[in-house]
Amino acid sequence: MSTEHVTAKASHDTHAGLSAKGLKAGSVGLIGAVVIGVSCIAPAYTLTAALGPTVAEVGVQLPAIFLVGFIPMLLVAFGYRELNNAMPDAGTSFTWASRAFGPWIGWMGGWGLIAATIIVLSNLAAVAVDFFYLMLAQLFGNPELADLTLNLPLNIATTLVFIALACWISYRGMETTKGVQYVLVAFQLFVLGWFAVAAFSHVANGTAFDATAITPEWFNPFAVESFSAFAAGVSLSIFIYWGWDVTLTMNEETRNPEKTPGRAATLTVLVIVIIYMTVALATLAYAGVGQEGLGAGNPENQGSIFAVLAGPVMGPFAILMSLSILSSSAASLQSTFVSPARTLLAMGHYKALPTQFGRISPTFKSPSYATIAAAVAAAGFYVITRTTSENALWDTITALGMMICFYYGITALACVWFFRSEAFSGTRAFFFKFLAPLLGGVILLVMFVKTAYDSMDPAYGSGSSVGGIGLVFVLGMGVILLGVVLMLVMAKVRPEFFKGKVLPTGY
Amino acid sequence: MRYVVGYSANARGHDAVNLAVSLARGRGASLDLVLVVPEVQQFGAAHAPKAGFENLLNEQARQWLDEALALVPADVPAQAHIRTGDSDAQALIEAAEELGADILVIGATSTGLFKRFTIGSVASALLHASTVPVALAPHGYYRQEALTRISCGLGTRSGAEKLLDFAIGMAANRAVPLRVVSLLALDGGDPAAAGAAREYAEKTVAAAAPVSPSGVQLAARTDVVVAQGRSIEEAVDGLNWEDGEVLVIGSSRLAQGRSIFLGSTANRILRALPVPMLVVPSGYELKHQNHPTSNDTSGEAPQ
Repeated sequence: MSTEHVTAKASHDTHAGLSAKGLKAGSVGLIGAVVIGVSCIAPAYTLTAALGPTVAEVGVQLPAIFLVGFIPMLLVAFGYRELNNAMPDAGTSFTWASRAFGPWIGWMGGWGLIAATIIVLSNLAAVAVDFFYLMLAQLFGNPELADLTLNLPLNIATTLVFIALACWISYRGMETTKGVQYVLVAFQLFVLGWFAVAAFSHVANGTAFDATAITPEWFNPFAVESFSAFAAGVSLSIFIYWGWDVTLTMNEETRNPEKTPGRAATLTVLVIVIIYMTVALATLAYAGVGQEGLGAGNPENQGSIFAVLAGPVMGPFAILMSLSILSSSAASLQSTFVSPARTLLAMGHYKALPTQFGRISPTFKSPSYATIAAAVAAAGFYVITRTTSENALWDTITALGMMICFYYGITALACVWFFRSEAFSGTRAFFFKFLAPLLGGVILLVMFVKTAYDSMDPAYGSGSSVGGIGLVFVLGMGVILLGVVLMLVMAKVRPEFFKGKVLPTGY
Repeated sequence: MRYVVGYSANARGHDAVNLAVSLARGRGASLDLVLVVPEVQQFGAAHAPKAGFENLLNEQARQWLDEALALVPADVPAQAHIRTGDSDAQALIEAAEELGADILVIGATSTGLFKRFTIGSVASALLHASTVPVALAPHGYYRQEALTRISCGLGTRSGAEKLLDFAIGMAANRAVPLRVVSLLALDGGDPAAAGAAREYAEKTVAAAAPVSPSGVQLAARTDVVVAQGRSIEEAVDGLNWEDGEVLVIGSSRLAQGRSIFLGSTANRILRALPVPMLVVPSGYELKHQNHPTSNDTSGEAPQ
């Protein structure tokens, strides 16, 4: 065969050989889609983070607010789905708002999304740290270990380690797998159910902390004292449903794209509402809304209600609650990292941010620069909040609610504006592309403005303030203002995107 | 002849392309550069739909592959492929099987400081599961010229003759000398066994050479050496290596079926070796030996 040294003709067949992506269409069934929905919402983490702050605003009308809060989320999610179908894109709100309203509002929409996910990252890490120490205490029967989380330098150091770990996992391109999500979701629902049953049996046995009889009034949203409280409650309950929209946007992944996403979204919200209602009622019935001791209105308990209540309610099995929240918040921490990283990547790709943000790691094929940037921002946000606020978790959750209202509001209105020419082309289009997102967007932006205005009061949230202005306002508006400044700098440095050349408006 | 190259847009990927070019040049083979992008999971990301990220990934992958194709000289035909899969190793094996590849070429190193070969996770996974021979490019492999010599590491293990046949085929097809490196002294760890090792290797070469006509001339150009040393690393350092040489080595008897399983000896050789290594799964050459007289020119085994 030594004669075989032929000089082969060069045939640089660049793209002809590119095989199809090999998308595994239809790999997610109904149950899988529900698991994805529930895991994105992360009910155990969400409840422990949001239940206290919401009670502080609306008292016993907590169930009513939780129910009402779903309405704007539902309305906005319809618009989200329409946009996602028309323009599937990693930039989501950023891309859609840019296509609808042009580069400036688009940039701010993207910034809102990034800010919200960064804020929730720092909150997730902090909650995970709280329950990490609590679990250690329960494991070794030494309550002093749980107090380690109150040690500021240690708390900050541990939180930064958690953030760094999640960032590293994300950078390596590792994702939580299906099996892990199934187990985590089942475990969360099981433990929350246990908590509710245990709380109700304490009430029945007369051993509850402050047994409070459930009345129909708890379900009446109009019984909330003021519009301020109502707005604050709704913006918090937007947070508790955040992530639900994912189920609606799964199309090609599901086995039956016609029916599965709709059914999964319905089933997910049923599961979530049932678990939220049960746990909210159980908590109120067991602990009341008093400001003393175990009361759900006690400012001491706002940051993480289950950290306080799980022990008295579940006895020795409280460790299951710690384990469940620790695992679900750690998993969420990792899976949420993907979100700002992908949005930053998309913004870098569309030249709305410096080129480095658009970088993909050749080895791990993950957004490398963007992932690290998200981690640095989350760590920075946590350090600032922790050192300036009396109750960092409480204030971050309140600021987060505001931020979600901001970018969801923009996204919903982007849907209305983007599809304006076809809004009246039929009943379906009218409802999903016009009416629902319009209502949802307006509601959310009203909530945003109202909450922002109210939060200027230094007594708002945990009662921390900077220069006589409420910390929540400073955090929320500070982040948005920072976005405006960065946007102006970017417009100066890389004007291309801001001239509308990269992402032109309209189709 | 098709060689599949597991490409990534880093130093490791460049090493692999260079080695694949040297392998292809002596043989007139064509290259298939395969870049594996991870499957974007729906289960792993909250608030981040997978839609769109896949597009960005694929766009980037295409750009990387264009750069990779530019590394391949004009006389070597090459194609680019994007594959999606959760495991790089699995996707590469599937691509190699689907494209009917004769060799799978990868850059083996992670960033080892002192060793040429510190096996990366993908390489390690491939060595455990590949059904085609795997060529491992050492760190910083820059040569693109055709090979100048084939070395074949020979032990006593069953299948040694088959491995030798494979190496003879490679050398004959490329018209380059063959060197048989007896690892017998290392297998037993007894330096006194060196004489016996040489004898065994010479006998095996003599027995295997007549399999092909060109093998007869090759036998005259075949050199037999015995690797000696207190450790495998020392033995490998003690041999002289040409720049354009590759070491062909068999997988250990632990291998399941036709898969490669790198034995502990092979693994240690790999770490000390300054040249590329080609690991052949046990029983691999059988498929070519079924048609010893056919004119099928595919495959590295002697025709």
